[in-house]
Amino acid sequence: MTSFLDILLGGVFHAAVLFLVAAGLQLVFGVQKIINLACGSFYALGAYTGISAVTWALAHGLPRGLFLFALIGAGLGLAVIGPPVEALLRTVYRRDEAFQLLLTFALVLIIEDILRMIWGANPQELGNLYMDYGTVGKGALTVPTYNLLVIAAALLVAIGLGLFLKRTRFGRLLRATAEDRETSATLGIEVGRVYTVVFTLGTVLGTLGGALVVPTAAASLDMSVDLVVEAFAVVVIGGLGSIRGAVVGALTVGLMRAFAVSFVPEMEMLSIYLVVIAVLIFRPAGLFGKAAA
Amino acid sequence: MKLAAVVGLAALAALAAAPLVLEPYPLTLLLQFFAYGLALLGLNLLFGYTGLLSFGQALFVALGAYSAAVCTRKLGWHSFELVLGVAVVTAVVVAVPVGLLCVRYVSIFFGMLTLAFGMLFHSFLFKFYTVTGGDGGMLVERPSLLGMRFSEMDKTTFLTRPFYWYALGLLAVGTVVMWRLVHSPFGVHLSAIRENPRKAEYLGVEVRRLRLIAFVIAGVYAAVGGTLLGIRTGLADPELAYWTHSGNLIFMTVLGGFSSFAGPLVGAAVFIFLQDSLMSVTQYWRLVMGMVLVVIVVLFPRGLVGLAQALRARVIGWRRDARAD
Amino acid sequence: MPALIETRDVSKRYGSFNALSGVTLAIAADEFVSIVGHNGAGKTTLVNVLTGLLRPTSGTVTFKGMDVAGVGPVRLARLGMARAFQLVHIFPGLTVRQTLAVAVVSQTGKAFHFLTSLARDAQVQERVEAVARLFGFEQLDLEARSLSQGAKKLLDVASAFALRPEVILLDEPTSGVSTGDKHQIMRVLVDAAKSFGVKAIIQIEHDMDLVSEYSDRVIALHQGQVLADRPPAAFFGDAELVATVVGKRRVRD
Repeated sequence: MTSFLDILLGGVFHAAVLFLVAAGLQLVFGVQKIINLACGSFYALGAYTGISAVTWALAHGLPRGLFLFALIGAGLGLAVIGPPVEALLRTVYRRDEAFQLLLTFALVLIIEDILRMIWGANPQELGNLYMDYGTVGKGALTVPTYNLLVIAAALLVAIGLGLFLKRTRFGRLLRATAEDRETSATLGIEVGRVYTVVFTLGTVLGTLGGALVVPTAAASLDMSVDLVVEAFAVVVIGGLGSIRGAVVGALTVGLMRAFAVSFVPEMEMLSIYLVVIAVLIFRPAGLFGKAAA
Repeated sequence: MKLAAVVGLAALAALAAAPLVLEPYPLTLLLQFFAYGLALLGLNLLFGYTGLLSFGQALFVALGAYSAAVCTRKLGWHSFELVLGVAVVTAVVVAVPVGLLCVRYVSIFFGMLTLAFGMLFHSFLFKFYTVTGGDGGMLVERPSLLGMRFSEMDKTTFLTRPFYWYALGLLAVGTVVMWRLVHSPFGVHLSAIRENPRKAEYLGVEVRRLRLIAFVIAGVYAAVGGTLLGIRTGLADPELAYWTHSGNLIFMTVLGGFSSFAGPLVGAAVFIFLQDSLMSVTQYWRLVMGMVLVVIVVLFPRGLVGLAQALRARVIGWRRDARAD
Repeated sequence: MPALIETRDVSKRYGSFNALSGVTLAIAADEFVSIVGHNGAGKTTLVNVLTGLLRPTSGTVTFKGMDVAGVGPVRLARLGMARAFQLVHIFPGLTVRQTLAVAVVSQTGKAFHFLTSLARDAQVQERVEAVARLFGFEQLDLEARSLSQGAKKLLDVASAFALRPEVILLDEPTSGVSTGDKHQIMRVLVDAAKSFGVKAIIQIEHDMDLVSEYSDRVIALHQGQVLADRPPAAFFGDAELVATVVGKRRVRD
């Protein structure tokens, strides 16, 4: 019988990873009004690349205790795919939303096979490497230190993003472009460059999330499509375009899943969908969202 | 209109004659085409004609397949007419409340709500295995067609002869009904909703009610398609309700061309045969399909039918210019 | 003559701002009413209240004796009121024929005819062609998006007329149109009203020439209140009044 605190912390860990991916979604939607169905694919890409990066690094002399840096490096390094993907999406910005969704759906198909090509169809994992960091606490209340590190990292990202958007010049540029694309362009803001940066940032958040999760979970091809639904639940509950909403939404989804799995397993995802439907009906803008129904 | 009738009849004749000429395998692919053709006709009423993009249409396809499974396997009702009746009634019973909730919203929110409902159903099918058979799915038994059991036939013969013609008949009827729907007064009101919902209201169009009706009709068509799929494979599978299946339905529609009547049918046929050909050549068929979708979305948004229409207009232009010289 | 539209002491307040105050008026059949006033005087608010789009903060609005406060556009059309907006609204991908058919289908109650052919419906097509003829549309199978701006505007108005409403409200029906065309459009409107049994036309109009030539009643709004409600001759005869309402002295030839 796992203790209440165990479930709680498990939920918060899941929420931390979800938050990273959802924050990426929110940024991209907030500025470019695109819903990226391939967010789960980036997440999976981060996971697989993370595993390869760690395996390679360890084989080339990296001390075991530093594997986290290999993961972070993998997540950040995948930023290179941001600009080309954004350039592709740029061709359909001005068109009907359906086309944007379909283009990102096409990416889901393409990336899944790329993953299959490079890593094969079997799930991959890192074994118990993360336990090298030991655990915190004693007795019934022990938590792997790694998990706490990830939660802390997510928190840092959340705070960092908030500060970035509110305090820095580029953050303000971003918010201006999100508010009004045309006016921003006439004010001299290079909208194209902003879009590239935002999309890349969104991509990296996703790949980082995937990289950070692999020590505790296997990387599988299903990851990409399974995560999309959870990420969407997060942004619907939190409100489209809001980072704060991503935090609250991620916690809601993460905790609900954790408790459902422990007490009523059949309701695991069902409960989340019911909450999503309820939010969409009673408060379509979500808890912090700006978009109107 | 005349041309459409001629083409339609020719296609019908060719398809009806197919079992006499083709091997069983391509015939089962055609069966898949019949099923998806029906589902897409319904989806396009909602998307191409009314302007609502549903990301949960797969829900109704799954509903149809599971109706067939429950009827034949759990209840012992083997009359296909009864199975169809149950599928249609179930689709309506589900579509009305879901539709009532969803049509109050548009574009992204409609898409997200329908996706959520689709996944809700998937989750139910997947987790409640005592009722639904879980991830193993539920078996679908051979039905009787118009009272005839064809028990002396093996599965393949049944599927590629009597069942094939029955399914073709369903598609033909479904196509004619849909043609009349979109060319009726109801149809022009739907198109008005797509083009400018606000103006439509001022011209007396009952936007919400009509959207709901379109949603229900789309659901019924998808469910009928689902029963055909269920009987063809002999299995009702929770993955039928997964969101990527809904995505594929939209892919097929846009591939064929969502702003034309025949587009969805063309899309279903091309998608099914393309995917099948690719699968036999490479295990990375998803990659190719994804690239096809990219090409369509970026270069040929009006789909294959749109491309054909553009080419035809170009050729007519050339001929006219040539004649003028 | 019994009033078709009546307002009693209607006010519309937004916080501390009075968009309309104490508006009482009655419009009966056979009236062509022009609502004038400069920007912000409350013209559009008044029309929104008359057509049930806005609920008045106080007072009543009735159409044929029925309270229409907050009634939606669909019910409005069914009650017998049609409206065209200043900003042109069309169905870009529908043809002229289809656009007009939308209105006729509503008006003939055929929206739930699922399986009959629209193209072969003689009743609908006759009415569509009658409206098109009157408004000067010769090529009915052109897509609305391919029409000139003036033609789009005309189509917008024509589709409102195709509803055969008892009262039609037009928001600047001639805006964006060249002077020569303006008079033609007004004549078409008057003819259409007669042909389709429209009992009253209410328009918001800025062009004073058109107001004086075609309307038989001028309601002047100023800062949310009815400043004057009189025939054109009486209105334009009062130079002070005209200056207050229009904002400048009108130069008479």
